[in-house]
Amino acid sequence: MTNLLVNRTLECEGLACPLPVVRTKKTVEEMQTGEVLEVRATDKGSVADLQSWAKRTGHQYIGLKEDNGVFRHYIRKSDPTEIKEERKFPHLIAHEEIQKKLSAGEKMNIVDVREPAEYAFGRIPGAVSIPLGELEGRMRELDPEQEYYLICRSGNRSDIACQTLAENDFKYVKNAVQGMTEWTGEVEKD
Amino acid sequence: MANKVAIIASNGGLFDAYKVFNIATAAAATDSQVAIFFTFEGLNLIHKQAYEQLPMPAGKEHFQEGFKAANVPSIPDLVSMAQELGVKIIACQMTMDVMNLQKEDFIDGIDVGGAVTFLDFAQDANVTLTF
Repeated sequence: MTNLLVNRTLECEGLACPLPVVRTKKTVEEMQTGEVLEVRATDKGSVADLQSWAKRTGHQYIGLKEDNGVFRHYIRKSDPTEIKEERKFPHLIAHEEIQKKLSAGEKMNIVDVREPAEYAFGRIPGAVSIPLGELEGRMRELDPEQEYYLICRSGNRSDIACQTLAENDFKYVKNAVQGMTEWTGEVEKD
Repeated sequence: MANKVAIIASNGGLFDAYKVFNIATAAAATDSQVAIFFTFEGLNLIHKQAYEQLPMPAGKEHFQEGFKAANVPSIPDLVSMAQELGVKIIACQMTMDVMNLQKEDFIDGIDVGGAVTFLDFAQDANVTLTF
């Protein structure tokens, strides 16, 4: 199995309930908002427990991979008290329009600015992964004369990414503001 | 407001200890406020000597190996984990008097109180459990 890029890995192999949950809580506390944690556990109960834990505590449960009896949970730290940032980038695209273009066979440059683990668990087919944190450094991979559609989970990170590209003379950038949470179309996975 | 979990521990066996402390630590790790009221035999679960070797129910001693195989943490480990997570431990004054026990007989970091101390916390608890 390929390793997904994460900010931190927590090894809970061989530990029984409630240790995986307790250790996950402690580790997440030490991390920054937006960072991704991989929890490796062999406790079968962790499959249901860590999802419930994330739901309760307001963190994002990205997904689970099972590999030789080891459960790999991917969790992104969220700050539930954080007020939704105001979106500033004016040029938006609705999912409906993306769907229409895709089904018409139009070639679209979709850039997914979420973390690699989020991207791995489901993205719009053909979307390219450039996490927001890497955008400045990887901007040269993109052509300022072309049209780009930026997407994240809820429209916030892609808003920042659109602003960054616009400031760097990208002419045709649009924020897919509904984000992957509202995407009902086809999904591609690792 | 945070979720509140109020637990009464009134039995003193090893199984009882796991039920109490597993639920308590899991709840605390999930951002709940947790208080446990230890009364009658439940006091064993926080007694300095007793909690090191709590009895298995008669005829169930063979589970000892299962605990080891499953790598289940010891009760003293679970208790300190619970305290670290902010679980409030209240020992029942009345039962301590009946059993002639002092606060010093128990682990550090506990409160001693009466029924009202616990009820005050449990009043607006979302979850109340008795073991």
